[in-house]
Amino acid sequence: MLLEVRNLQTHLQAGGATVKAVDDVSFGIERGETFCLVGESGSGKSVTALSVIQLLPRGISDHPGGQILFQERLADGSHRTVDMLDLPETERRRIRGARMSMIFQEPMTSLNPVFTVGEQIGEVLRLHRPELSEAEIRERTIEALAQVQIPHPAERADEFPHRLSGGQRQRVMIAMAMACEPDLLIADEPTTALDVTVQAEILRLMRELQDRNGMAILFITHDFGVVARMGHRLGVMRLGKLVEEGTVRQVLRRPEHPYTRQLIDALPENLSRRREAARGADGAAGQQAPEAVPLVRLRDLQIHFPVRKGLMRRVVDHVRAVDGVSLDIPKGQVMALVGESGCGKTTLGRAIIRLLEPTGGRILFAGEDITRLPAKGMKPYRRRMQIIFQDPMSSLNPRLTVAATLTEPMAVHGIGKDRDERLALAARVLEQVQLPAESLWRYPHEFSGGQRQRIGIARALVLDPAFIVCDEVTSALDVSVQAEVLQILGRLTRERGLTLLFITHNIGVVEYLADTMAVMYQGRVVEQGEARRICRAPEHEYTRKLLSAVPRVVLD
Amino acid sequence: MTDTVQAPTLTPPTRRSRGYAAQVAREVLLRWGARVGLAWIGILAAVAVFAPFLASSHPWLILEEGNWSSPVLRHLTPTDVTLMAGFCTGLVLLFLRLSLPRKLLILLGVLVVAGGISAVTVSPPKLVIHEQYREAEAAGQYDWVLRAPIPYSPKDYLRDFGDTGMEPPLADDLRRHWLGTEENGADVLSRMVHASRIALAIGFIATGIALVIGVIVGGLMGYFSGIVDMIGMRIVEIFEAIPTLFLLLTFVAFFGRSLYMMMIIIGITSWSGYARYVRAEFLKLREQDYVQAAVACGLPLRSVLFRHMLPNGVAPILVAASFGVASAILAEATLSFLGLGLVDDPSWGQMLNQAVQSSSFNWWMAAFPGGAIFLTVFAYNLVGESLRDALDPYLKKKA
Repeated sequence: MLLEVRNLQTHLQAGGATVKAVDDVSFGIERGETFCLVGESGSGKSVTALSVIQLLPRGISDHPGGQILFQERLADGSHRTVDMLDLPETERRRIRGARMSMIFQEPMTSLNPVFTVGEQIGEVLRLHRPELSEAEIRERTIEALAQVQIPHPAERADEFPHRLSGGQRQRVMIAMAMACEPDLLIADEPTTALDVTVQAEILRLMRELQDRNGMAILFITHDFGVVARMGHRLGVMRLGKLVEEGTVRQVLRRPEHPYTRQLIDALPENLSRRREAARGADGAAGQQAPEAVPLVRLRDLQIHFPVRKGLMRRVVDHVRAVDGVSLDIPKGQVMALVGESGCGKTTLGRAIIRLLEPTGGRILFAGEDITRLPAKGMKPYRRRMQIIFQDPMSSLNPRLTVAATLTEPMAVHGIGKDRDERLALAARVLEQVQLPAESLWRYPHEFSGGQRQRIGIARALVLDPAFIVCDEVTSALDVSVQAEVLQILGRLTRERGLTLLFITHNIGVVEYLADTMAVMYQGRVVEQGEARRICRAPEHEYTRKLLSAVPRVVLD
Repeated sequence: MTDTVQAPTLTPPTRRSRGYAAQVAREVLLRWGARVGLAWIGILAAVAVFAPFLASSHPWLILEEGNWSSPVLRHLTPTDVTLMAGFCTGLVLLFLRLSLPRKLLILLGVLVVAGGISAVTVSPPKLVIHEQYREAEAAGQYDWVLRAPIPYSPKDYLRDFGDTGMEPPLADDLRRHWLGTEENGADVLSRMVHASRIALAIGFIATGIALVIGVIVGGLMGYFSGIVDMIGMRIVEIFEAIPTLFLLLTFVAFFGRSLYMMMIIIGITSWSGYARYVRAEFLKLREQDYVQAAVACGLPLRSVLFRHMLPNGVAPILVAASFGVASAILAEATLSFLGLGLVDDPSWGQMLNQAVQSSSFNWWMAAFPGGAIFLTVFAYNLVGESLRDALDPYLKKKA
């Protein structure tokens, strides 16, 4: 057993209170094995990882009990078992980076911007392998970069991090972690901040490196799809406790703990499976295709951002964020807009409701051209088209009560006679998104992420719009919360006959919610049509690549 | 719509949940620096408002031939009355559960009404004879006298005691001057008490003027950006190039000495910093989702700017403002120290000036007014510091 965690307890001090972040957790990892820790945010999975490598800030954390037994490989090839909790700091530092290393979630901030990539990797080697000469270190650095499949490693070694893309930075982080050939690699959500296609490449790379070097991986994630691709064994954490442990196949197929079952059921792919089953029982009632009258039509829409340079801020070039998109969004249907980050899907969504000025092309809403309407002319349309944002933390004004947030737009548009009537309406909408009416008198910071997202939905609904742009509304949420929000959205869409443009990168969500879909790539729509057809039989090459990169839980 | 839905929601619950402002206020008050600073400013404000009662040659109450009378009340000016009415209203409002804008509105209303009424009804005697009560008391005219704690007015030069001039604290047993006398023989403590009015007024009004200009200019720059921003920033740079002190000296030389002129000049030369802060905040806030959502809901520009953006961007401005108050006080003190301040009215800086004027070093003229300036500026800086700590999310995370 390479690593054995026995009854680990980690307590964190937060503002005078003690939080049992990790509470009596035990697990073990063999050499060459991948152990996945899965859980929702706040379940203690990251704290467990940081406890293992002893990187928690000393002042606010302590370990009242437990052991972290690590089999340290000594320089002469022999092994000894040490307890990371008892080890003096100097010896811990010797293990960290050399025998046990870590990669983090956010590749944009985990590299130091003032050193070249090569210097940062070389520093690790210089520390842990003092016997190496400078030339050898350089050689090893390039080798490490080549190992993580960075093209032209010798030149890349002299680049600064800002010249690399997110995926490449994460590769550099892996190269740095692997430079001293550790026995245990701790990966804390290493692909969460990356696009699916890049994620697929990084996961493949990690598996290859594992096969070649025989290292063990402690993989922290919240995504069961990634677990299914990466893991040998799996532990599910909840509120600081390990509730279930077993091999990946066994846990995913026959979850024993009710919490695990609930998590797996909440996956979008399983939601749609259940909906299909329900539909089958109902007969084909829900299947009749609604008449496909387009509510929103885009004709060759272009949004370019000028790139300015020099003293006079001359426009030297344009970023073509949206480059000639024509799209019909059928009335009463959900259209999913899928694509990777930077493909222009958010820009397109904001331009449709005129939060951004389009450079060219036309936007037709219910047959009317609204592309160039002035602010005053837009006002009647503002009521009929709304937006829900991705980040529930920043989409509500922290200074206003929910009541103020919901009733102010109503007052502006003359909905409801007086304040009391508007409050009653707001309470009804809150009820529809399953929030109690008392929520009206609270401030946004008193709600959890999922609750805030529901308030965001309520804000869009109070004006009783016909069309809503949903901009990645579930990507900041945990799986179970995501399932709730998706169910609410699905129900409201049916009840109110809403038309949604659902911007997302999550294919499972598309399958659950969308009737039609459009795939965007570099500012253009490369494929559009019925969602089901595209998911099963993609035609465009990029769509195929995107769909195959999506990590899925294969249950059968 | 059914009544059953309405019933539980129509009235807000009695315990309203805490807003952001209340949270920040609580967090500021948790810090010792802020408590000490605010306590000092509060004491200073009370002293400034009740200065005529604290330090006056006119007794509070006299009993003369069976008649009670109060000379100090007779000598109150309309300004004194208005200030006291405002202060008392403010104190009461502090404990009432009302929204902040409503409180401010009430306070403003009371000030206007009290000012109007007192301007008409209150008329102090034109000719003030400071020594009349002292002489009458010495002559045994009164059966009973209640004097102010500091029985000297700031402009009472003690003519009845002859040519007194500068005296260190407690030099004369007959006349007790706790902090000594200044060159004309007036009581230093009394002058300091009355001077606190000028110190507070110049700080608040000058900073207030700067804030109003800065928020409007900065807000427009930040929200519209583009060409408005470019022009605005150039104006800001022009104003930043103006040396406030030299402008003040020039104006004093040409137009004579006026406290109001000083306030206005300090105000219109120091708004550029606030404009920069507001602009930066607004540039950031404009991209925030809730501002975008407000635009998407078709809310009018007024609401987007002042309801959704300003309250969220006001925090750093408040921090800057509390430092601004301190620097305005210093500017006035500097000017008075250079002998270009007010002529006869008491001011801390002017008293400092007297410390080195005559051949000897008069330590009491340096220590006490200097100490008061130091403590006040320090208090504002403490409050500003605590406010910044309470608002800074990065520091908060570290704590």
